[in-house]
Amino acid sequence: MFDFIGKKKYFFALSGLIFLIGIIGFIVNGGFNLDIQFQGGTLVEIQVTDQNIDTNKAQEIAKEATGKVVNAQHSYTFDVSKGNERIDLLVLSVSSEGKLSEEEYNNLVSAISKEFKVKEGAKIGLRDVDASMSKELSGKSMLAVFLACVLMLIYVWVRFNAMNGLLAGFASVLALVHDIGVMLVLYAVFRIPVNESFIAAILTILGYSLNDTIVIFDRIRENGTLLRKESLASLTNKSIAQTMSRTLNTAATTGMCVLILFAFAWYNKIDSIMEFILPLLVGMISGVYSTIFIASPVWVMLKEWQAKRKLASKPAKA
Amino acid sequence: MKGNYGVKSIVLIIIIGIMTYIALAGLQIPGTGVNIENVEANIRYGIDIRGGIRAVLTAEEGANPTDSQMEAARQTIENRLNNKRIYDKTLLLEKANKRIVLEIPYQVGQVEQDPRDAIEEIGMTAMLTFREVDPNKLDENGDYLPLDDKIVLKGDDIVTTEPELDQRTGRTIVRLHLSDEGAKKFETATERLVGKPLAIFMDDQFISAPNVQEKISGKDSATISVTGSTVEETAKEAKKLSDTINAGALPFKLVAKDLEQISPILGQSALDVIILAGLVALILVGLYILLYYRLPGIIADIAFIFAIVAQIMVIAYSHMSLTLPGIAGIILTIGMSLDGNVIIYERIKEEIRSGKTVKAAIDVGFDRAFTAIFDGNITILIAAGVLYFFGTGPIQSFAFTLALGVLLNFVTCISISKTLLQAVSSLKFAKNTWLYGVKGGKVNV
Repeated sequence: MFDFIGKKKYFFALSGLIFLIGIIGFIVNGGFNLDIQFQGGTLVEIQVTDQNIDTNKAQEIAKEATGKVVNAQHSYTFDVSKGNERIDLLVLSVSSEGKLSEEEYNNLVSAISKEFKVKEGAKIGLRDVDASMSKELSGKSMLAVFLACVLMLIYVWVRFNAMNGLLAGFASVLALVHDIGVMLVLYAVFRIPVNESFIAAILTILGYSLNDTIVIFDRIRENGTLLRKESLASLTNKSIAQTMSRTLNTAATTGMCVLILFAFAWYNKIDSIMEFILPLLVGMISGVYSTIFIASPVWVMLKEWQAKRKLASKPAKA
Repeated sequence: MKGNYGVKSIVLIIIIGIMTYIALAGLQIPGTGVNIENVEANIRYGIDIRGGIRAVLTAEEGANPTDSQMEAARQTIENRLNNKRIYDKTLLLEKANKRIVLEIPYQVGQVEQDPRDAIEEIGMTAMLTFREVDPNKLDENGDYLPLDDKIVLKGDDIVTTEPELDQRTGRTIVRLHLSDEGAKKFETATERLVGKPLAIFMDDQFISAPNVQEKISGKDSATISVTGSTVEETAKEAKKLSDTINAGALPFKLVAKDLEQISPILGQSALDVIILAGLVALILVGLYILLYYRLPGIIADIAFIFAIVAQIMVIAYSHMSLTLPGIAGIILTIGMSLDGNVIIYERIKEEIRSGKTVKAAIDVGFDRAFTAIFDGNITILIAAGVLYFFGTGPIQSFAFTLALGVLLNFVTCISISKTLLQAVSSLKFAKNTWLYGVKGGKVNV
């Protein structure tokens, strides 16, 4: 049987390495790629018929029309409902300090329409977010993640009394923090836009990862009453091994769904779905990993530390 | 026992079959008035798929509206949109944040309008008037036209209104509370207009035209009776009229803090792709479980079809708007929904390996797996609950489908799967442990 607990050093080191890469990526990329929802500002999406659009030129025209710094990007996707017709979009964005007024917006649209081949009759996409809203969203998001962690800690604490609930709760929340960390690394390194899907992805993974942890802890709880003579490490190793085929099968069925979604979104270039699904996929892998290699050994370490402390305090009292 | 499970199983399978049939084809029984359309016709897609406008409206800077003022504002917006014949919309009042979330899906052939102009128009301060009307001057709908020189009361003449239960009739009426000046104006007008209609307008839009019964004196004595076919409907109408009149005293303008116009071209395409992905995921996951767990796999697949069909039916018939993340949530639960079955079947395998008979293994397997499934599902529900509470539109749809999927899966797992498996296991051929995915003999601990 594989010694999951004994080899914990290597796995802790691997996680540490991933976080290090994330920190480097964060610094190199200059922080997260905050979407308009988290930043405030105006984003205008215009459908064009030109496949090789000159974004520098668009940027200049936009600057002239509005007098503000406008970032221009070109993106495309395929319209499956119309036999994979290619859709080209010119995406213009202005950050919060420069949110466009009514007049500037009209100037911008007419200037761009003059210079580029704008698709006739196509609707223009527009997003206009007040800076106060984006601040509120960031605050709320952090609160949501924090609250979810606290609720889960309390739940594990109450339900896993037999495993010394607080320690079990602490170990599982540490694994959750690990998963959030891994997902943040992904966002920082690959510059995935941080928007509302980000919060949805993180909370889903919190639920998924803890679900995984609980199945193993449930087995430790059960084995703990059956195998009283075993050492903690061997008890935990056994429990992990016994639940391994479940862990792998569930990872396979959920992973399959997420992979298929990702593949379809990637093939058809549907960014919004890709940006949501990729973090989920990475989070799921991290969730399975953290259950086995973080939550379980940390729980064993905490229990051993507690036992030592009890032992140490006994003679002192006597 | 055997017969019991057998009968239950057959009933369950028939129910699942009928549900799947209704979901796919709908149900029409001629002559009985039963007419259920299939799910496809009932699903209401969110604006990220259909395209449209979404706006988060708050009172302009400096205004500090009360809850009832916000409710009145919501009613005003609804009236204004109805007046523009925009009936397909979602209007949500978030009392805690003092904001109104408005979603208007894109209509085919809709006149192009700058969303900012549209929202500005919708959010304008409201102007309520009570006016005398000329029965000969009607618009094309047969409603009275507003006459500018016949204004009896203006918004600020009315302090507030509230729905009230009329003790004599048991029906709800609307009571008006007028200002001193308003009461005076109202007294002279009602004296003159006994037996004639006095119409209520919001801006230029006709709301209602109650007939004046008698001369009304005093600030709090005016009431308006509302007609509705039932007591409940009357109460609803009265509340609506009261909110509308209160909105007349709306002193603030609503502005968009977050405005989004989504073009409909991308959504439809994304929908087609994601549905195809969902079908592929469904088939592959179903096959995987079938091949891996064999006999119990068939049962897991039946239970799984039930859970998915039920989930889609709830979403379709509740007319909850379904967004792209919401569909992703359904697909995700396709994978997660098998977790419960996986936990149970792995447990059953273990019990068979440890030497138990198939029947005993199934009983013990379900028993011992229960706590793990229960605790595991609660955690996902916690996450979905927090997400629903904090999220907005598209994300709430995701939280909803996720939670619904998890709940349905839990229920199916401990009821349908269990009943079916117990029924099948008592059949003779089902004693072979190979059918449960256990390799002959070798114990593997």
